[in-house]
Amino acid sequence: MHEMSLVESILESLLQMKKENQWKKINKVTLRIGKMRQVIPEIMEFAYNTSVSGTDLEGSHLSIDQVEMEFFCKSCLKKWGEKDMAFVCPFCDSTQVEMLHGMELDIDTLEVEEKDG
Amino acid sequence: MAKVVNVKESVMAADEIVAERVRKFCRDRNILLVNLIGSPGSGKTTLLEAMKKYSDIKFAVIEGDVETERDADRINALGVPVVQVNTHGGCHLEANLVEKGLQQMVLEDIHLLFIENVGNLVCPVEFDLGEDKKVAVNSVPEGADKPLKYPHLFHKAGAVLLTKIDLLPYISFDMKVFESDLEKLNPEVPFLKIEALKGEGIKEWVNLIKGWMKEKSD
Repeated sequence: MHEMSLVESILESLLQMKKENQWKKINKVTLRIGKMRQVIPEIMEFAYNTSVSGTDLEGSHLSIDQVEMEFFCKSCLKKWGEKDMAFVCPFCDSTQVEMLHGMELDIDTLEVEEKDG
Repeated sequence: MAKVVNVKESVMAADEIVAERVRKFCRDRNILLVNLIGSPGSGKTTLLEAMKKYSDIKFAVIEGDVETERDADRINALGVPVVQVNTHGGCHLEANLVEKGLQQMVLEDIHLLFIENVGNLVCPVEFDLGEDKKVAVNSVPEGADKPLKYPHLFHKAGAVLLTKIDLLPYISFDMKVFESDLEKLNPEVPFLKIEALKGEGIKEWVNLIKGWMKEKSD
């Protein structure tokens, strides 16, 4: 249940950005979260909706883009996904493996309304 | 008028600033910071007790628990410097709690500090505490399937300790599965087998830590 802590961090960042940029309103927040991060989207959305109520972000909507895991072998240059999750190449046994995707945990985009005039 | 703004900022940005302060604090004092992560009852506190009993390595501990000071009492009884941090419901430690713990400690002549994280295989992995190494503590009764079920921890671990190995004759634990899954996730990770009550494996564990301390101070 680390989703609540993540939401707290996100709210802190959003409120600061809103203030600094003098946005009138934040309508939508899109996160990119890799599957390795063990975040459950439904819990995250619930935590977000509960936390924004009564704040300057009330009414904003959270959207989560889940990113599939992708691995890359630097020796044979092949790629594979979560089904064959490994940091040892399933094709050539090399341990020179890089995780291209799956560790994302970012605020990607915001849809905001600017102040009139 | 509505517009879309690209942010591309880590959710953890605020936490990372605090973690970086903890890292600097430890670097300035030449302290190796080790974050012990494992299930409740996997033997994290017993491991620390065994280090005191079976080795001469000097260390201090930040004890993380949801409630109670029981673990800190156990460590304190051995004369090891310790502070208890309670999360009161929180399932993991965050860098700001570690920073508070550091402020309460006397760290004179201490060059090795353990953080015993809240017992949990999921949440503690996600939070950078400013540590040098995360160490996964997995006990035999938990079963051999834990690495693939909790891949992030076992991938991130700087060492994996399998504890309570004296129970192997009584429990169905497939060592081959554990070792091959671990190899997939973290091919070069040091893997140690430990029976803390009798001190088995403690020497190897302490030697590994001494190597890390030397690496850090060089």
